[in-house]
Amino acid sequence: MSFHVLFLVSIVAGFIGAMSGMGGGVILIPVLTFLGMDIKHAIAVSIVSVIATSSGSASAYVRDRITNLKVGMFLEMFTIVGALAGAAITLISGRRVLFILFGVVLLSSWVALFRQRNEGWRQTSHQDIFSRWLELEGSYYDRAVRQTIVYQGTRAYLGGPLMFGAGVIAGLLGIGAGALKVLIHDLVMGLPPKVSTTTSNLIIGVTALAGTSVYLAAGMIDPGLAAPVILGVVLGAFMGTRLLVRLTNQTVQRFFLGVLLVLGVEMLLRGIWGV
Amino acid sequence: MQVSTHPPEKAQSGHHFDMEGLLGYILLTGVLLSVALLAIGFVWRWVRVGNLRFEHSIVGMNFFEFILSTLRQMASQASRPRLFLNMGIGVLMLTPFVRVLASVFYFAFVEHNWKYTLFTGFVLSVLTYSLFLR
Repeated sequence: MSFHVLFLVSIVAGFIGAMSGMGGGVILIPVLTFLGMDIKHAIAVSIVSVIATSSGSASAYVRDRITNLKVGMFLEMFTIVGALAGAAITLISGRRVLFILFGVVLLSSWVALFRQRNEGWRQTSHQDIFSRWLELEGSYYDRAVRQTIVYQGTRAYLGGPLMFGAGVIAGLLGIGAGALKVLIHDLVMGLPPKVSTTTSNLIIGVTALAGTSVYLAAGMIDPGLAAPVILGVVLGAFMGTRLLVRLTNQTVQRFFLGVLLVLGVEMLLRGIWGV
Repeated sequence: MQVSTHPPEKAQSGHHFDMEGLLGYILLTGVLLSVALLAIGFVWRWVRVGNLRFEHSIVGMNFFEFILSTLRQMASQASRPRLFLNMGIGVLMLTPFVRVLASVFYFAFVEHNWKYTLFTGFVLSVLTYSLFLR
């Protein structure tokens, strides 16, 4: 595949990924495989680019003090082990299985996002002993409402193991699995949406590194393929973030739900029919 | 959720050390340096041979061997465009690793928080192990 094709596809993937908040991998892998790249190589190339996009956006969020470092550090223990396991599974899995899994994950994310449209964040009234011991509380200044929001994370005993699962999916499919991580932060651990998204970004970089190391060891990271993808995804994400502030949430969400549905069905059918 | 109108800067921590700032700059520097190295590699290749096609793979070595081998080649001979590509990928992979390393030092020596020193130490150990895989 030529530099130009890889670069352009990656710009589009990074652009849509940044606007939707799900990262470029969910767009990149279906498109690269559609253009003829082997799914395992597409996964390996994608997961390297995930390090770039997540680290880039995490750098801004961390400096804004919205990210909860302790929540991130605690949950990373689970996601990196999961990512190592997930990447190892990919190496021995059949290609059709990977297509089907990818389709299932995309469609599950679609369902989660679709349901989330009408649901607001529910605060937790009680922090369990384990979460208190882990010091999972914090505060951040919300510029939109001009207030400091104080919150307490809870059910860390459940969040940890679930994040292992999110790590497995990230390593297995070469994606950030940000939607899943945000869901766990939001619905299980009771973190405010902005803290969920920004902390998830911090975790994704380390998780992707663990997965990348397995693919590197397997000789699947081809610098000639990975480099244009990294450059394209970073550029696309930069442009997507700039445009995001000009669009309404509803427009972005409606557009992304459509893309997610088409790609999910396409990957699932390709897996079932054995393309 | 509670809300207050307290100043944002003082809300999270009483320490004077700006950990969030440091981690943010580590991540930003890593990504920018990586992108710059990759871009130099491609521009150099274009100027030298007129195309952007690279055909080399990383086989039979772990991450640290890959970095050392790239550095050794850069030091021993005229730097080639493909070495810049390798370094760009290497720097990108090192970025979250350095972030975790800085976190271990912060929790151990600034916050003196043994729990989180242990947690970040575990993450660092697993990452180090994974980067030694071959």
